[in-house]
Amino acid sequence: MKIDGTVVRGDHFSGNIAEIRKFAVMSLSWLTVIFVAVWGVCWALGIFIPMCLANSSFDFAAILSEVCKALTPIAAVLVFIPINAMFMVLMERRALALFTRRNGPNRVGPDGALQTAADAVKLLLKEDITPTGADALMFTLAPIIFFAPSIFGALPLLAAVTNNHKLFQIVDLPTGIFYVLAASSVPVVGIVMGGWASNNKYSLMGGLRSAAQAISYEIPLVLSLVTICLLAGTLDVVSIAYQQSGGLLNWNILGGGALIGLNKAIAALVSSSGAPFAEVMNAYYPYGWLSFVGAAVLCMCTVILFGVYLIGACAEINRIPFDLPEAESELVSGYNTEYSGIKFAIFFLAEFTNLFIVSTIAVVMFLGSGDCPLPTWLNPLSYPAVYEPLAKALSPVLSVLINDLHLINPPTFWAALWVIFKTYSLIFFAILVRGTLPRFRIDQLMDFGWKRLIPITLVIFVLVAFARGVINFHV
Amino acid sequence: MSEENKPADKPEEKPVPAAKPVAPAAPAPEPAPPPSLGTYGKMLKEKGIECTPMALSTGVETIEIAPAQLPAALKFLRESPQAQLDFLVTVSGVDSPDTIDSVYHLWSYTKTDELVIKVRVPKANIPADKLPEVPSIASYWQTADWHERETYDLVGIRYIGHRYLRRILNPWDWEGHPLRRDYKQLVDALNDKNPESFR
Amino acid sequence: MTIQTKLPEFKTDEMVINLGPQHPATHGVLRLILTLDGEVVKHTEPVLGHLHRAQEWQGQNRTWFQYQALIDRVDYLSGMFTSWALSRAAEVIDGTEVPRRAEFLRVLCAELNRISSHLLWLGTYLIDLGALYGFPFYPFIEREKILTFFEEISGQRMMYNYIRIGGVQRDPKAEWFKKVEEFTKDFPKRVDEWEAIVTENPIFLNRTKGIGVLTKEVAQAYGVTGPTLRASGIDFDLRRFKPYSVYPELKFDVPVYNKDGDTWDRYMARIQEMRQSIEIIKQVLDMIPEGEIMSKKQNAGLRIKAGEGFAAVESPRGILGCYITSNGSDKPYRFRWRNPSFSNLSVLPPLLEERPISDIMAIFGSLDIILPDVDR
Repeated sequence: MKIDGTVVRGDHFSGNIAEIRKFAVMSLSWLTVIFVAVWGVCWALGIFIPMCLANSSFDFAAILSEVCKALTPIAAVLVFIPINAMFMVLMERRALALFTRRNGPNRVGPDGALQTAADAVKLLLKEDITPTGADALMFTLAPIIFFAPSIFGALPLLAAVTNNHKLFQIVDLPTGIFYVLAASSVPVVGIVMGGWASNNKYSLMGGLRSAAQAISYEIPLVLSLVTICLLAGTLDVVSIAYQQSGGLLNWNILGGGALIGLNKAIAALVSSSGAPFAEVMNAYYPYGWLSFVGAAVLCMCTVILFGVYLIGACAEINRIPFDLPEAESELVSGYNTEYSGIKFAIFFLAEFTNLFIVSTIAVVMFLGSGDCPLPTWLNPLSYPAVYEPLAKALSPVLSVLINDLHLINPPTFWAALWVIFKTYSLIFFAILVRGTLPRFRIDQLMDFGWKRLIPITLVIFVLVAFARGVINFHV
Repeated sequence: MSEENKPADKPEEKPVPAAKPVAPAAPAPEPAPPPSLGTYGKMLKEKGIECTPMALSTGVETIEIAPAQLPAALKFLRESPQAQLDFLVTVSGVDSPDTIDSVYHLWSYTKTDELVIKVRVPKANIPADKLPEVPSIASYWQTADWHERETYDLVGIRYIGHRYLRRILNPWDWEGHPLRRDYKQLVDALNDKNPESFR
Repeated sequence: MTIQTKLPEFKTDEMVINLGPQHPATHGVLRLILTLDGEVVKHTEPVLGHLHRAQEWQGQNRTWFQYQALIDRVDYLSGMFTSWALSRAAEVIDGTEVPRRAEFLRVLCAELNRISSHLLWLGTYLIDLGALYGFPFYPFIEREKILTFFEEISGQRMMYNYIRIGGVQRDPKAEWFKKVEEFTKDFPKRVDEWEAIVTENPIFLNRTKGIGVLTKEVAQAYGVTGPTLRASGIDFDLRRFKPYSVYPELKFDVPVYNKDGDTWDRYMARIQEMRQSIEIIKQVLDMIPEGEIMSKKQNAGLRIKAGEGFAAVESPRGILGCYITSNGSDKPYRFRWRNPSFSNLSVLPPLLEERPISDIMAIFGSLDIILPDVDR
């Protein structure tokens, strides 16, 4: 290959501009396709069919429309997961190529946009091999057990990321986050099963490493989320998402609600209406400087907790630098060494879905879910004068879509947009980490988990419990 | 290292392997003066180790040592403060016309001196179906461990006392020693017509 | 109820595992038979020969002229050095005088090749440590440039056949030297960049500091050479210790680390060696004279006088030697390679003793073995 092209030879930045543009176009078009497809399916199943049935005199019409509505969230997840995994694999490969000044896959489809779709077809058509001496039942069950939790674990999050849209309120779980965490701890069983059933020593070692790692890193992961729940006063993901609305200062990553008072006070100052600044401040921070110290401590603690969560999540889903269960240079491919064809595809699918889910949990628990990061008093769209003319001009078209067809639900639309943006930013960060760091050694990994992360989270838990007492939350 | 050329004083009559084309005879060398003992040869002599000087191998002192005295000689050369030849570069085997040689190239980590030691086993003394035998120094000098295994594998010199003298480059069930001049390859891997071929 | 003060004896079986020959991180086809207790290595037995191509046998059964073209395969990452070792040995026996310009060109190409070999090592070593997708490609970008230089002067990217008995094959044009000069200006900045990413990275330090400690005594006993030996604190570089070619006229440092002899030191030794190679190349570009480049006719009748001799060069992996017995015919009588990887690899079993599996690759990678060089 001649290397006179722009990619290898070009100087460090200018050579990559074209690639960055291609990457952006590819990501945006894929995201549009994914979410239009998912929302299309949901709307057709949950709104359009019941709407048609409502006028019919068909006997079981009412039951049928209820069934359709109930199936909507599941259909959403089932449509979303495979397409999303395809996109994430492509995004990862293209992003890594960007970081390393390569081209990445660029042959199948426009600029390689269909590469992973082709890969998926290839994997599905491959021969499904069960190695000699493997426990066939366990071997087949392992990918299913690995994959299934990512489907049913994601369900409670749906309402939280769609601004509590009525279609997605399937389960009103008061213990939402615990359900999600419980579901996310099941996949390790699948890994151990796969490792053990493969009849391969590398797989076995990979499976056992995975068990050790998942157990050690689940503790800091859960502790960091529990601390956030302590601050929020609830375990329900929808309530936690709602509490954070109103801009960056309300998000859990900045004090877990400790700055809500400040936010409200500034809003009062800016709008110069309602209660005066000092009064609002006094209502939220009753103990003077002690309250301010408490707020500062809380901010520090929650930022650290966010870091701990990201580390724990990385370890939980076996991403570099914690990818010991499938350490390629040591254990060939770890627990999935012997897997091929569709079973391997399912492992692969589940890995990327898990990455998406932990990112979504981070967005819901720390980054304000579907909330715009600009505080309300700074956000031009929160002033009616700005967008009213636009809304009036568009109203003939939009009101049909919004009010008659229910095709667009503005709060859900904006919430979903922000969630998508935040979640994929976190995923991009995970890819960046993968493109930078080497792998830990297993004993260093254990040291880091048990001797650093767990003590830190415990100390923070106690600090938060005390600091919480000197501030009024959610007056 | 000087680049002067010192032609070998003993012109070696090349053996004519059956399957190989005849190697042309070397040009007759000028009669060289009989080699005399160099520095290390004298040192060994003082220690009571018999050694025969040989023609310099491109300016490097070369001596021949009887197989039985090899370990003592190498031990002395490695450990004594005046010799300090503590770097065993390589152990090679050479299938010479009349003898089978085990050649040791000794260097030093602290000075630029070199020494070549040859242990020559006359082919006349080797019983049929037996390999020439040379004492092993692998237990004393770890470098020699793999080098001796390789020489055993390729040239067919049995190092007595090697704890794990096993083929290293060829498969364990390989027959013959490929770098012998009389070696014939039983399975011609490149010949499609050969029924025993790998192809 | 009694309180148990001593834990019951808990004994587990040892597990024998095959690492390779098909394994992502064995740099080719090395096979290690490991005896493991849990994840701790108790015993290692390397099994060689999966890449044995009978290079010595081929040397004896091909003419000098034919065999020159084959020897780049002995160590395909540093083909210039294998050619150079053979040429030097043949020239020493034959008494050939190599033209001065050819000697400078040899040094220039060899040092470029040393850099490219170390670059490949750097990339793959990071892969061994688990940095699979990010950093490892950066050294390859620079290596690509060097391979292009070689392609321009020899027509080949890896099997150069450039250094021949009696000189070098082609005389590069003036533009080629200009390109190399630009490269030497740019390269140290790239090394700084990589060092900024890797050298002080805490995970990298965790994985390499104090791991695979190779003491002076062990290194000497096993005949380890090259940067691996110098990282153990022994100042032994053939280029300075027994200078050959035009190295006596060039000024350069030999990086020696006299601290631990662990894998991090070996990493640093190679990084510093690349910087020194750049210094050498700069000097060569200034000093290179005009003149002939070949003193021996290159055709099928190429013959070497009768005699025997050993000559070695300092390759990126250590002392690459060539022991030749010639009888004056068109074929060598006996051809013996002394390969640095072969001796360097033999030190692996003692280094791996009592180390966990993850360290195998950290240690094995740091020795910079290349399997065709081991198996020939």
